[in-house]
Amino acid sequence: MKKLVLLSLVALGVIAMACAPAPTPAPTAAPPTVAPPTVAPKPTEAAAAKPTEAPKPTEVPAAKPTTAPTAAPTSAPVKITFWYALSGATGQVVEAMVAKFNQTHPNIPVTVVFQGTYADIANKLVAAMTAKTLPDVAQMGGAPTMAESGVIVPIGDLVSKQDLDDIYPGFWDYNKFGNQIVSMPFNNSIPIVYYNKDLFTAAGLDPNKPPTTWDELAKMAQALTKDTNNDGKIEQWGLNTNTDTHWYLTAMIMQNGGKILSDDGKKVVYNSPEGVEALQFWADLVNKYKVMPANQHAQANADFVAGKVGMIMRSSASLASVTTDAKFKVGAAPLPCKKTCSEPLGGASFLIFKTTPEKQKAAWEFTQWMTNGDNTVDLFIKTGYVPLRKSVSDNAALKDYLKSSPNAQILVDSLKYSCAIPTFGELGNSDEQLRLAIQKVELASASAKDAMDAAAALINKNMAGQ
Amino acid sequence: MLKKLESSLIHLLLILGAIVMVMPFAWMISTSLKSQNEVFSYPPVWIPPNPIWENYVRAWQAAPFARYFVNSVIIALAVTLGTLITSSFAAFAFARIRFPGRDALFAIYLSSMMIPHQMTIIPSFLVLKDFGDFSPALGLDTYFALIAPFIASAFGIFLLRQSFLTLPNELEDAAILDGCGKLGFLWRIVIPLSRPALATLALFTFMANWNSYLWPLIVTNSNTMRTVQIGLRYFVGQEGNQWGLLMAAAVFVTLPIVIVYLLVQRQFVQGIAVTGIKQ
Repeated sequence: MKKLVLLSLVALGVIAMACAPAPTPAPTAAPPTVAPPTVAPKPTEAAAAKPTEAPKPTEVPAAKPTTAPTAAPTSAPVKITFWYALSGATGQVVEAMVAKFNQTHPNIPVTVVFQGTYADIANKLVAAMTAKTLPDVAQMGGAPTMAESGVIVPIGDLVSKQDLDDIYPGFWDYNKFGNQIVSMPFNNSIPIVYYNKDLFTAAGLDPNKPPTTWDELAKMAQALTKDTNNDGKIEQWGLNTNTDTHWYLTAMIMQNGGKILSDDGKKVVYNSPEGVEALQFWADLVNKYKVMPANQHAQANADFVAGKVGMIMRSSASLASVTTDAKFKVGAAPLPCKKTCSEPLGGASFLIFKTTPEKQKAAWEFTQWMTNGDNTVDLFIKTGYVPLRKSVSDNAALKDYLKSSPNAQILVDSLKYSCAIPTFGELGNSDEQLRLAIQKVELASASAKDAMDAAAALINKNMAGQ
Repeated sequence: MLKKLESSLIHLLLILGAIVMVMPFAWMISTSLKSQNEVFSYPPVWIPPNPIWENYVRAWQAAPFARYFVNSVIIALAVTLGTLITSSFAAFAFARIRFPGRDALFAIYLSSMMIPHQMTIIPSFLVLKDFGDFSPALGLDTYFALIAPFIASAFGIFLLRQSFLTLPNELEDAAILDGCGKLGFLWRIVIPLSRPALATLALFTFMANWNSYLWPLIVTNSNTMRTVQIGLRYFVGQEGNQWGLLMAAAVFVTLPIVIVYLLVQRQFVQGIAVTGIKQ
């Protein structure tokens, strides 16, 4: 019996191997460029492989270049490893960008490794720190928290004045710890409102006039909330948000004139009257105006794409995928304003780790290339992660894209409201507490003031203890 | 008449139970054929009007799944085999052999089950890194790193010891009379009689190892060494999951476990019927 199990599974493995596209690009004979030393597992590579090629089961040292085959090698190639944590369409864009870098920079072969989600890569980096097996460059969320680890080279020491001026100040603020620039902005997004233009029209609203203030948001959402089959339950909701509710609440707090962190950076101050008002407005959307379902954020994205929600707050990074997946006309708008407009940045950054001077230099060259004008435009067009540089306004590809996509133009216009929440040690916990506070008021199990006070008290206790 | 009613009622309950158990799998297969905006439509559409079979092809090509499958199979089989062997020997010693400190040692083994897996990740990682400095085939990013930490299983020892304890002493006496040593007794009599427990252990170990995500992610960097669970992550994203592709991948990742279970399930049923000796 056990033999049968063993045999069938081995047979499965052999069949799988035989049917597989070869994951390793076969090294060419005398190429002017070098095949990337490890597997880039993307559809373009797979399509090129013949179905009968069986991948070698052992490590593939044959693919690693032994010398740089350029005509007049100026120096030996400096191999660097790059870890990243983006999946789906965005991950594919990153892999394509790295492949292009490898083609055009044969002296810096980059080994790119997918490392799961932001939480996964954070775990891996911690493990790698203790074992001293860190990569040379990594892309991660919450990068400034690594500032005090002692293993990174602060970007502030490497960046040129030109870059400092060219990249929007909000992005630099997002990557600071204290006053030092720690990481390099790469994929950044702003929270926006996606709305269903068809539902707007059906509700008698102007599809080209999305809400611009909190009051308009509540009113328009009310017009969009419908019980379509008269069974007493609401099938179409006016508003919902993605699961990272803390981000949108943070934006609202800032739109109301409130602050997250005190000026001396020693405690959180979102339980100020402005902050409580923001949470109260959120609670009212659920319990008073009844335009948002309580605690159903996990389904919000899918519901919106299926046409069951009028408006949704979500990351601008999803612009490309939402536009592709939805079967209706999608509109995009910056978040509505209150006393001011505010678009707190989200996203992730590049970190360079301390290794050898040559590798650090190569890593910096790689980082600069990945964040140059053409690539930041490319990332924007294929996803919705916003362009980092002011100088790209002349970029031809960008101009064409903006002409063809009014939503993209809106995103670029909203960048003037972008700002950064300062990074502090307890940021992760603080975000979680805010999500908890939101959950409490949505389910009406606590008042806005009590919920905010509880969240701030916990975080401030942690911060005081440090 | 009453017996028929009772039988029908039991059948009804079992059928309901079966439907509940099968529904997630049905949803998985159904979703794997849908486009992104059909996934959460309500009321749920079980059979999509335009099934997208390309989801399977796209999912397969999004990551080097062929290689991942080979790795997962090798690792899961190796760990299962290793666990069966080490647990059998250890459980036999704990159940059938008297030696000083036996019960205390068993208690220590048992208490090791209470250490959360996450606490041992970094120490294990460091140990493997040191092994790697000694010999690359034993270091990080190798089969050794993926298999070795799991070959000994306190759970396996516990499970098999309980099973071995139920075997009557008369069996051992009979074996000794026939000239069998301890090892012979283990191999010829105890193991064949403990098939249900061994099958259970094999299934759980295989499943746990097949589903293992965090350890392979932490310990491997190259695509030649990674497992299918890491492949599934390619569809789980910051901007939301690609449900159709994810479910398609989930279907072919779950298939081996289902096959293993179908092959092994006879042992469970057998275990209920067989005892060995009538007392």
